[in-house]
Parts: sequence; C-alpha cells; structure tokens
Amino acid sequence: MSKIEIRNLTVDYTEKKNRFTALSDVSFSIEEGEFVSIIGSSGCGKSTLLSILEGINTPTDGEILIDGEPIKGTGTDRGVVFQHYSLFPWMTARKNVAFGVKQVNKKASRAERLRIADEFLDKVGLEQFKDKYPSQLSGGMQQRVAIARALAMDTDVLLMDEPFGAIDAKNRTILQELLLELWEGDGTGARKTVVFVTHDIDEAILLSDKIVMMTANPGRVYQEIKVPFDRPRNRGELVQTAQYNKFRNKLLSMFYSDIADKIGGEEVVL
Amino acid sequence: MTLKKRYLRVVHALFIVFLLIQLIPDSLTTDTAAAYVIWFVIGVEALTLIVSALIKKPVSLDLFVDIVAFIYGLLIAWTLATAKFDLLKQSLFPPPGRVLAQFVEDYDKILVNIQSSVGIILQGYLLAIAVAVPLGLFLGWSARLGSAATYISKFLGAIPPIVYIPYGIALLPTFRSVSVFVIFLATFWPVLAGTMSGVMNVEKKTIDSARVLNVSPFTMLFSIMLPASLQQIFIGCNQGLTVSFVLLTSAEMIGAQSGLGYYIKNYSDFGDYTRTIIGLIVVGIVIVFISFIFNRIQKFLLRWKQ
Repeated sequence: MSKIEIRNLTVDYTEKKNRFTALSDVSFSIEEGEFVSIIGSSGCGKSTLLSILEGINTPTDGEILIDGEPIKGTGTDRGVVFQHYSLFPWMTARKNVAFGVKQVNKKASRAERLRIADEFLDKVGLEQFKDKYPSQLSGGMQQRVAIARALAMDTDVLLMDEPFGAIDAKNRTILQELLLELWEGDGTGARKTVVFVTHDIDEAILLSDKIVMMTANPGRVYQEIKVPFDRPRNRGELVQTAQYNKFRNKLLSMFYSDIADKIGGEEVVL
Repeated sequence: MTLKKRYLRVVHALFIVFLLIQLIPDSLTTDTAAAYVIWFVIGVEALTLIVSALIKKPVSLDLFVDIVAFIYGLLIAWTLATAKFDLLKQSLFPPPGRVLAQFVEDYDKILVNIQSSVGIILQGYLLAIAVAVPLGLFLGWSARLGSAATYISKFLGAIPPIVYIPYGIALLPTFRSVSVFVIFLATFWPVLAGTMSGVMNVEKKTIDSARVLNVSPFTMLFSIMLPASLQQIFIGCNQGLTVSFVLLTSAEMIGAQSGLGYYIKNYSDFGDYTRTIIGLIVVGIVIVFISFIFNRIQKFLLRWKQ
C-alpha cells in the first residue's frame, strides 16, 4: 500500500459564473519515505493539489488516501511549510516552534515543548535567534523557523508549497542543501514522506526521488519521472556529471514540449 | 550624551526666569501663597536635574525636558498675568500660588473624588472589554463564515451611549450603577466593533497556517485571532476610554454627589474658581496618566510589531 494515494482528483472553481477546472482527473501515488516534487508552470494546479493534501481545500471529485484512509480536512499527520512564511508574528521563533509541537503533542509539558523547539532551531542553525520575533528575521531565517516547526512536529508526511520560492538565489541554495541534509539524515533512520511543490527544475532534481510534472488548462499529470541519482546527494558533484545534464535536458525538453503543444507547435523556438 | 547636551538646556533658563520674576513686587492682588509655587518649581527643577543625569535615550530626555519647559512657561505667564501685573479678572483667575495652596489643603478630598471617578470608569471599562473581546472574536469569526452579526453590531453601535442614560436611570437603582452601565456601553460597542473588524481582517495565510497545525476552535480564537486582531482591538479600547471620560464627567456634573465632574461643577456653582481650576487640572492629569498606562500596555502587548 502506498503512503499517499491520489485518486481521480478533480477540482472545479466557479468565479463570477465562469467555471474552470483547476485539476482534472489527477491520479498518482507516493510511497512511504519518498521525496516527490510536483513541478509545472503556473496555473497547472500544483498548489491546488497541495492545498487539498493539506486539508484546506476540498476536491469536487475524487479523494486522497493516506495510509489507506481518506483525508478529511487538516490533520496532525501532515506538517506544512508554505511559501509565505507561515509564522505567527506575535510569537518568537521559539514559541512558534513550540506552538506547533503543542498541537501534535498535547501531553508534552511546556518545558519539554521548549526543549524540542530549541533542538530543532539548533538544527536549522538559528541558535542565536530563538527569542527574535519574525519581523526581526530575514525571509530565509523565517523559512528556517517554519521548517524547524514542521520537523519538530514529527509528522509522517511533510507538505511543502514552494517553500523557497520567495527567497533570494543564494539563500535558496543554502536552504535546499539544509533540507536535503535534514531529510536524508544519517541514512539509518526512517525518512519522512515529502511532497514538494516547485517550479524550479534544478531544485526538483536535487531533492526528489520522483518528479511529477503537471500541465495546465486543465491541470493534469503530464509525466512521472524517477530521479536516478544515488543518495546522499551533493549538489557540487552532482551538477558536474554528464548524467545530470542529460537528465536535466530531458526534463527541460518535456517541460517545454508541453508548452509548445499548447501554444501551437513549431513556431515556438526554444 | 555629552554633559553639554544633558544640562545646557532652555528649561533651566526658564527656571531662572521664574525665580527672577518673583522679585517683581506684587500688584493689587497679593499672592500670599506664592511660596507654594516657588517650592513646587524648585522641586520640579531638582527632579529635572536628577532625570537629566539618569536618563539614557536623548529622545526621552528631550521629551521630558520639553514638558517641564512647558510647565515653567505656563507658570511664568500665569504669575505675570495675575499676581504681578493684574491683567486678568481676579475672581476668575486666581494666582498660581493660591491654586496650589488650595490643592494641598483639598488633597484628601480630591483623592476621594479621583477614586470615585476612576473606580467607576475602570469597573465599566474592564467589564466591557472582558465581555466584548470574546464576543467580538466569536462574532467576527462567524461573520467571516457569513452571518448578520456585523450589521447588527453596526446598528447598535451607532446609537450614542449617552441616550441610554434616561433608560439606565429608570432601570438601575444608583448613580454609580447607571454610570458603570453607560460606560460599559460606551466601551462595549467600539471594542466589539474593533475586535470583529480585526478578526475579519486577519490575513487568510495566518488562518491557513493555523489550520494546517490542526488547532482547536478555542485555540484558533484565543491564540490566533486574538493576537492577530490586537491592534484593532486597541483602537476600540482607546475610543472607549476617551468616550468614557467625557460621559462620566458630564454625568457627574448633572447628577452625582462625588467624582471629578461633581467637584468642578459644585465649586463653580459657588463661584469658587480656584477649586474649579484645580478640578480642570486634576482631570487633565488623571486622563494623561491613564492614557500613559494604557499606551504602555499597548506597546508591551504589540512589541512584536516592527
């Protein structure tokens, strides 16, 4: 049984009497401990898909099963990192993480929650910033706190909606490597199941086991591609190999052939 | 801060000026109690010097010193216009020394009146906040989900609280309870409206962030909505506080046997303008003091804002 099973998911929106289909009959599955990226141009419904996984949206048709159980709304089995820094501005970094821990672990004492918060803030390299409010932190730091919170909640599934989309290039690279390192761990423990939405092909290759490429109008799955690189991965080494470039080019041509199909074939020069 | 920046200030020149004008002989009016003002000013000057030595932020020192300079300026003008040159009508404008001496004499009585007014305000005000905030959170939340709560509260809030007074008098036994009731209403509506609009304007991303953490409805209201709408709640509280003072002092002038409004009205009826002026000053000080505390609380609770 797959960890997550997405079955015939369809989402229609009605806006000013115009009906449009954000997702049309989307089905695929994700195995336990798998890191899956969903990639596609804007409007392909990748964020809609994730919002249904989060439990914030409900589908018009179809369902999502986690461990064989259909999901009904939000749940403590899923941790979420949004693109917008989802921290609560009135809580310090530490309180933000501890608040997340409290929601999944009601039994933990206050001291215990704060200890867990400290542990994960250390992991994301924010030892010095625990007592700062989000407004005192840069975007990259806020996203580190959000990642620390999602990890500290210790959920089976981690949902990440373009988490590095609003972060400058240099910090994005650093955060990708941090995420990779935290997720891969030392290779002995069980890895979390991650669903990661992005529009950055390099990011998707670096992080994922599988890439689900989506296409717009209506949002459908275009291709599912296994990423053939061993772990633990190292960006520096990986990008220099011929296989990497070949794989990357293959993905890019798929990505653009889809767009070319849409806007009329040969006239598009890539 | 340099020594020069700390101590070389206009305020100290005004202090000297104040002492010098005491040398001008009194005109028709003799301010027999001038010593009170002189000692008061010397006390203030001593305090200013101590504060100048201790204060750390130049901005705060500027602020403090400006306030003291204003007080000195006022006292100089007041002394010159009354005791020294007799420019104003004596019975309406007593010299500052006499006012201060009367203040010292009436100190206990004034304190009782302050207690009475502030007690009523606090009771009605805090009660209103305690009821309006949770209710506003709840109604705001259900209004977000689409209910008529907003319109109902807009209608009820539009009624000026003072028009409830006659009904309140019919309904309630004592002046005190009527006052508390009216202040309750005067605070209740703006706080309720502020809370509701605060809740309705909480960003969707904040709510989504809380939802994916699977918070309980109680946590959603009190740990997320409450802090997220705090700024708007404070706007309502501020408005309530201002209106409460206006209402209470007016009400006290009409029907009370105690309170600051009563003190002013009572003595001005007897033509005792020395005490009337004391009443005005005390009302001002009390309001400034309460606003100060209020701002401190607000600043502390909103310290996470930039």
